[in-house]
Amino acid sequence: MRRSTGFHGHERTYAWLMSAPALIGLFLFVALPLFGGLYWSFTNKRLISPLPTKYVGLQNYQNLLGLRIIRLEPEIDPATGQARIDAEGKTIYPRTRTIVRGNPAYQGYREWFTSDVFGGRYVVIARDPTFLRSLVNTFVFVLVIVPGQGGLALLMALLVNQRLRGRYVFRTIYFSPVVTSMAVLAIVWTFLYNPDQGLINRFLSAVTFGNFQPDWLVSADSALLAIIILSAWQAAGFQMIIFLAGLQGIPQSLYEAAQIDGGNTWQQFRHVTIPQLRNTTIFVIISTTILAFRLFTQVDVMTKGGPQDATVTVVFHAVDTGFRQQKIGYGSAVTVLFFILVVTIALMQRALMKSDIEVE
Amino acid sequence: MKRKALSIFVLLLALAAFMPAGILAQDMVELELWYHGGTQEENDETRAQVDRFNAMQDAIQVNFVELAGSLVAGTGYNDAVNAAAVAGDLPCILDLDGPNLYNYAWAGFLAPLDDYMSDDLRADILPSLIDQGLYNGKIYAMGQYDSGLALVGRVSLLEEAGLRIPTSIDDAWTLDEFNDVLASLQALDSVEYAIDLKMNYGAGEWYTYAFSPVVQGFGGDLIDGETLSGEGLLNGPEAVAAMEWIKSLFDNGYATLTPPDDNEFINGNAAMGFLGHWMATGYYEAFGDDMIVLPVVNFGARQATGMGSWAWSITTQCDNPDAAWTFMEFMLTPEEILSITNVNAAVPGRLSALAMSELFGEGGRMNIFVQQLESGIAIPRPITPGYPAVTSAFFTAMDNIIKGGDIQAELDAAVDKIAQDVADNDGYPVQG
Repeated sequence: MRRSTGFHGHERTYAWLMSAPALIGLFLFVALPLFGGLYWSFTNKRLISPLPTKYVGLQNYQNLLGLRIIRLEPEIDPATGQARIDAEGKTIYPRTRTIVRGNPAYQGYREWFTSDVFGGRYVVIARDPTFLRSLVNTFVFVLVIVPGQGGLALLMALLVNQRLRGRYVFRTIYFSPVVTSMAVLAIVWTFLYNPDQGLINRFLSAVTFGNFQPDWLVSADSALLAIIILSAWQAAGFQMIIFLAGLQGIPQSLYEAAQIDGGNTWQQFRHVTIPQLRNTTIFVIISTTILAFRLFTQVDVMTKGGPQDATVTVVFHAVDTGFRQQKIGYGSAVTVLFFILVVTIALMQRALMKSDIEVE
Repeated sequence: MKRKALSIFVLLLALAAFMPAGILAQDMVELELWYHGGTQEENDETRAQVDRFNAMQDAIQVNFVELAGSLVAGTGYNDAVNAAAVAGDLPCILDLDGPNLYNYAWAGFLAPLDDYMSDDLRADILPSLIDQGLYNGKIYAMGQYDSGLALVGRVSLLEEAGLRIPTSIDDAWTLDEFNDVLASLQALDSVEYAIDLKMNYGAGEWYTYAFSPVVQGFGGDLIDGETLSGEGLLNGPEAVAAMEWIKSLFDNGYATLTPPDDNEFINGNAAMGFLGHWMATGYYEAFGDDMIVLPVVNFGARQATGMGSWAWSITTQCDNPDAAWTFMEFMLTPEEILSITNVNAAVPGRLSALAMSELFGEGGRMNIFVQQLESGIAIPRPITPGYPAVTSAFFTAMDNIIKGGDIQAELDAAVDKIAQDVADNDGYPVQG
């Protein structure tokens, strides 16, 4: 394995020369911004401001991750000494904001969500609830899209791998969303998702006799799902091609042997196709995961992170705070945390899946 | 060393080959101008104005650069201007949307125009335009026009529903009357719903421009001009009442959250429209004299509507500010002002131009817009360098509210975000 250092003389020059375009690109557009971001994340750098940039230590990270749980005490009726209840018999609690603003230790915190558990009312307060919500949304997105999109891609690959007439046409059709601009698709799908007049709800209305018409992007309950469906539809064609290559690399002799052993179609799929696709699947899972974490364009075009932060993602929050709200230092801290997160997960996936990588 | 000198020479030669001829010709001053993508007609007319300026003299060549916005005009443009400001790459002449001006002026990117403006010119400019261009006592931008925000309706439908039709700002509908108007129009068979609120523009500047006057009309406000805080104004009972009313329009079916495009009034789906001047020309073309511009509703606490539009400014990164002003002076002639306002139906920015205008003068069909600006009903959006944070907090809160969020909690969050931004900027201290 010492061959890589075995270049001599002009070979070495050519090696550097040939890799120079890639190295310069990586340095300029990956390494440099990465170090710049790391540096700025410890400052209060603003995009447009006459005020000098100051070193603020870990302040940005504290603001991003600041999280506390407080228990609200019911309002006490001074006459009876009992908790006050409203007309419907529910206990009356003070406004969270009054509590938060009344306590200097909670300075800069806002309510994230409230929950009635264990016989009391608990409020989760955070310095940046939107960032924490963006972490949750991003993880939900990744957890749904990786198996969902991968499964869809495998299904499509199996379909277009059949010896059917016109399979090349179908391959092209399934692949076409991948090469279409996401911004364009997002606008088109915004029309499709229109609750009253969109094609999707017109269809759903017809087949369910008007009983099922989600509000899609307009409702906090369904907006993320709408983004997930569009994303899976758009990107699955790419994984389909990879699965297709994997399928075509499986030796026909294995299927013939299975048939001689009396294996039916399902058994052939389960015991020949799936194990043979192992390496392909690992590649698809890792690449889809990394791509899925970068979710931004659809959100930016379709929902701007709303409604009620239902679709805000980490990358969107980085752009929104860093660029639109002009807090470069803060946005940089978001991207640094994002970088750590993605690298950790990629390394974990590698460690988990590396064992037993040879399949014969 | 010789080789190095040679390679620099070759590099220079290569650069020279790519330079436009104009820079090499010494006598001509070249200025770059950035323009946001408005409507097609507006773009064409502005480009034609620049061409006219270039054709009428030889000393200055203005290069018109239209930066395409995103889906909603202006959004992508502001991002591009921000990036250029940081990179030191701003053009000489820039068009900026009203309230974004203060942030750039505070940061020192814009040159004051006071010394350029003659007393005669200044006296002839629409007062609302001066108000909008002022930051810290100096004028940093001057538009050819101001905007108008009003209601639009069809005489035939209003008469069919048996409604009183206001003719000036003095007899504008009251809130109770307007609720009745909406209910009556909703009941007509020929329309699907009562009013198009242009929600297709999405969560962005439109919400702040169009609906913060509703909050003000109910007695609330965005922020206090002195303390820059929204406490008690944006989250007080008046603002909550305003938001409840806005939300009720959607809950009652009077308006839709998801109009498919800009044409709900034109194609007859909506009986009325709540609109900025930029739609008025198209509406008139669709309905002719059946279309009528109506004053904004008097919500009780005060009559309020939006103002402020795109305006020209000269950047401090400009090498030839005098030449840039020569161009602006041309753009501010009454003839050029009318040539653009006849296309986009914005309110002409000079009194002398107004007097010459058939559309906007006394009895003109767009005269309501002028009445609203001149009577002080129109309120500038908050004059603060922190405006980007204010508008973002407001339109996010409103978007959440109309899509089901808790009104008080959302408005509280908006107030907190604005306060956080002011704190992050040391209270936006006025610069030297």
